[in-house]
Amino acid sequence: MDEWADTHLAMHMLQHVVIGDAAIALMVFAVRGPLLVFLLPPPVLVRVARARSFLSLLLRPRIAFGLWAANLAIWHVPYLYDLALRHQGLHDFEHLCWVGCGLLVWTLLIDPGSHRRLSVGGRIALAAAMFAAGQVLADVLVFSLHPLYPAYPGRTDQQLAGVVMMGEQLVTLGVLAFVLLRPRLRASRLVAA
Amino acid sequence: MSATQFSWEPAYIAVAVAGAAAYAWAARVDRPGRWRIASEAVGLFLIAAPLNSPLETIAAKRLLLVHLLQNALIADIAPVLVLLGLTPPMLARLTRLGGNRIRARWAILAWLAAWYGTHIAGFYNWALENGWALNVEHGLLIAGGLLFWWPLVAGRLSVPAALAYLGAGFVASSFLGLAFIFSSHPFYSFYEHAPRLWGLSPIRDQNLGGILMNGEQTLVFLCAIGWYVSRLLAEEEPAQSLQER
Repeated sequence: MDEWADTHLAMHMLQHVVIGDAAIALMVFAVRGPLLVFLLPPPVLVRVARARSFLSLLLRPRIAFGLWAANLAIWHVPYLYDLALRHQGLHDFEHLCWVGCGLLVWTLLIDPGSHRRLSVGGRIALAAAMFAAGQVLADVLVFSLHPLYPAYPGRTDQQLAGVVMMGEQLVTLGVLAFVLLRPRLRASRLVAA
Repeated sequence: MSATQFSWEPAYIAVAVAGAAAYAWAARVDRPGRWRIASEAVGLFLIAAPLNSPLETIAAKRLLLVHLLQNALIADIAPVLVLLGLTPPMLARLTRLGGNRIRARWAILAWLAAWYGTHIAGFYNWALENGWALNVEHGLLIAGGLLFWWPLVAGRLSVPAALAYLGAGFVASSFLGLAFIFSSHPFYSFYEHAPRLWGLSPIRDQNLGGILMNGEQTLVFLCAIGWYVSRLLAEEEPAQSLQER
């Protein structure tokens, strides 16, 4: 995938949404409950505990979403995107940003430690906000009449990249919304019956 | 025929006038607020105006892009505005008159059938070549739109069910726009041979039409989803404040 990402924007986009969204969602989902406590070795856990107040700040819903959305917007500015393609160090940092910001929002969405920073409605709202922000980028890529990134001159490739973004978000956030809403859907069906 | 000349589908002027008259009659008993009247008026205007203006001339004789704009206006935006213009007693009356028989799962299927069915190449070309058939196409789209939005506006769905309904509608309807965007050959032979406008080739015309359709649907659905998410949050507020106490 990494090799194809050098020549195809759609593949590069798939790489980003996998490492920043789908993989993170699955990772966070996998460590729900007591497993979370045993995930990190004690010395690392101690350090994490020291940075607790900073992490709590980052995990405030508005801050986490703001960082995630800013990250999404900044790395898709053609100049920066191109620069990252030319400098491996910056490119690695970009991927790190995807992972970091993905971790923040998916921690809030899945709530692996049951901290209840957000209610179910709040989590649905965050998912909807992420989808809306992602749609803005997807629409720019799909609707743009000219290729935006010099390294990827194909317009169809760029439009496909937009669809990849849209499709991946629909799957990950759609599944999350369905899982969160399912108990309420059942309850409303029972009330109706 | 000049592109700026008016074309007419008088049936839809009659539909809009009849709708306005019925609304005025119902409003004698149950007075709607200003925004409901405005919503009804804009909704009825969006049914009549796109089909009775130069937009109709360009849509039926020149560009697919404008035809898709017309379809988006009459199938997506006008129906929801018309239904939002109705007061709760008006909705209750319509519910008693048969609205209670409209199940959400059938409504969404009927809307999708109208949406995809009317855009099948054979039907679309046939409708463009026969004036009355174009009326049928537009009628199906308006009826499909009204059916789709009815369960939502009439309050027949709980908030979670409404979110699921909107999500399903958004995903299921988006493929048509995407097909127009990514197609490399024109779907409709009628527009291949139609005189061009604004220098748009048939394929560019089709791609832009898909972009317009997709953009419009994204906007409408995200607004509706946003509204239901805010209702979901409002529903949770009393429970949360109880928990905090």
